[in-house]
Amino acid sequence: MSKKCYRFFSGLLQTQTNWLNQMAAKGFRLVRTGKISYVFEECRAGEYQYCIEFIAEKSQQSAEQYKQFLEDMGYRVFYKNINLNYSIGKVRYRPWAEKGGRIATNATTFNKELLIVEKKNDGKPFELHTTYEDKIAYTKTMRNPWLIMALLFLILAIVQKLWPMGVIAVLLLIPVFLYQREIAKLSGQAKTREW
Amino acid sequence: MHENYKGGALTEVMFYVLLATFTPRHGYAIMQFIEEKTGGRLELGAGTLYGAINTLAKKQWIAPFGDDQGRKKAYQVTELGWNIAAQELQRLRDLAQIAGEIIGGDEHE
Repeated sequence: MSKKCYRFFSGLLQTQTNWLNQMAAKGFRLVRTGKISYVFEECRAGEYQYCIEFIAEKSQQSAEQYKQFLEDMGYRVFYKNINLNYSIGKVRYRPWAEKGGRIATNATTFNKELLIVEKKNDGKPFELHTTYEDKIAYTKTMRNPWLIMALLFLILAIVQKLWPMGVIAVLLLIPVFLYQREIAKLSGQAKTREW
Repeated sequence: MHENYKGGALTEVMFYVLLATFTPRHGYAIMQFIEEKTGGRLELGAGTLYGAINTLAKKQWIAPFGDDQGRKKAYQVTELGWNIAAQELQRLRDLAQIAGEIIGGDEHE
């Protein structure tokens, strides 16, 4: 029997991961994702674990290669959108992306910002990044879009002398600050240990 | 190319991935090799492993093995990678010897 749920998590990646893991613990396995929908089928409780990876900085080719690699590792992988967007022919500029991924359209990486990765539960925590150096690099890819947006609004606020823009900029700096704190913590650990 | 010979230590992850490719292996086999050899002490996340493989391939210390027809991509160490691994082994031997002399407990040698 399948079960359909409607949720929208936006940039709250950890919340989304936790929710999927709770569903798995209750015996529901993800089989399909939509913009705001998740379809589950019944499975043994706790049979699977989930992890979410932010990949919006990747070009279409490298996103596809990475997905393929994860599938070869024996994982099930789903693309997921991070934003809500129903317009057709969307084009977005991503200055923080890698070469080849800076122009995101519906045909390429737009609405494919996340990978939901499913692994058979082996009792160990499911982590895709395990060394400090790699964790730092990954955390930076999550921080950069917020940082660029914050700077953009800050410039707007100053140039146009619009204080609401400034408020938005300050709000956008909150996730930047949180990710930065994480990076600082990891960097401290990386001083003496590799993982 | 010469810069590859200079410089200091390899990271443990890079060295193990390099060693895993002395026999051609694809991603999953590399991960299993490392887990098995270290008795589960070193467990690599798939994302970290992916990054390590790409870095080593870019440096040409490892290269894709066989035809690209197979679905899973396998990698094998190159001559350059082999030399670097041998050099690293020597460095670790020296380090182990010095550490043994200072810390002790190396009498069984």
